[in-house]
Amino acid sequence: MEVKELQELIELERATEEKVRKAKEEAQEIVKRAREKTESGVQSLESDPQQQELRRKRREETEQKKEKIAEEYKRKTSELNKTAEQNFEKAVAFLIKEILRVEI
Amino acid sequence: MSVIELKTQIERKAEEEATKIIENAKQEAERMLSQSSTRMNALRDEQTEALMRMLDTEERAELAVSRMDMKGELLQLRSSWADRVFEETSKRMVEMSQKSGLEYREFLGKLILEGISKIKGNKFIVEANSRDSEAIKKELKTILERGAKIKNQKIELQVKTSSTISSGGVVVSTEDMTQYFNNTLEARLSQARETLSGEIHKIVFKTGV
Repeated sequence: MEVKELQELIELERATEEKVRKAKEEAQEIVKRAREKTESGVQSLESDPQQQELRRKRREETEQKKEKIAEEYKRKTSELNKTAEQNFEKAVAFLIKEILRVEI
Repeated sequence: MSVIELKTQIERKAEEEATKIIENAKQEAERMLSQSSTRMNALRDEQTEALMRMLDTEERAELAVSRMDMKGELLQLRSSWADRVFEETSKRMVEMSQKSGLEYREFLGKLILEGISKIKGNKFIVEANSRDSEAIKKELKTILERGAKIKNQKIELQVKTSSTISSGGVVVSTEDMTQYFNNTLEARLSQARETLSGEIHKIVFKTGV
């Protein structure tokens, strides 16, 4: 083997080493990008729009239920007032009778 | 091995190694992404479940508070109606005492007799406001007769005017003031409030009458 050929081989060896080094760099880059993608996925969970929507919907439902309760009690209040108005005189008459009732 | 063959071999091996490195990295990235996807799905499900539980709890608490507030208002309303009954009764009793009609005069006599029957002795002081004192004096003879029957002995009554008994009724006490029976309208109303509130609630809120 001539000196020139030997030099060419050494040069080739260096070039291939460089190629492998670049392949390693590229591999690292691929893994890094994958890691970044998984991390951003986890972060996106924290501000998940689906969950935000769920909260909003649920709040709406709760408010509707509260309104329903308020309406129910409004109706009960109205009924109660009506009944009390109807029976008011009877209650007063009963009380006067009781106060006038003297045990001797 | 010739130099050309050697070069070819070196290049092939380097190519193979580089390809292998890249391939491995791609497989690793795929594995990471796949694992991450599975983990994220599980995490999302877990978070959704936790969120649903939290929202359920929040809703239950909010609705319970809402119901409690409403029940409180209803209770207050019931109580206010009962108060109105007592206020109206008080007003009418005072009106009755101011008119000083026959029914009220008889009532006054009964108030005195009840007082006499509840305390010992035969000498009594009857305190009333000036209007009632006059009415009592007019009915005194009858009261004394009925009082004597109750006590099985002759009784003495001293009628005094008191400015503190504004609404009507009487305070009966023994002559030595050691015993007394408060039978003023205020006292009777107060007693009625203690003993008859439940009954008043029943009457006021009775449905289907």
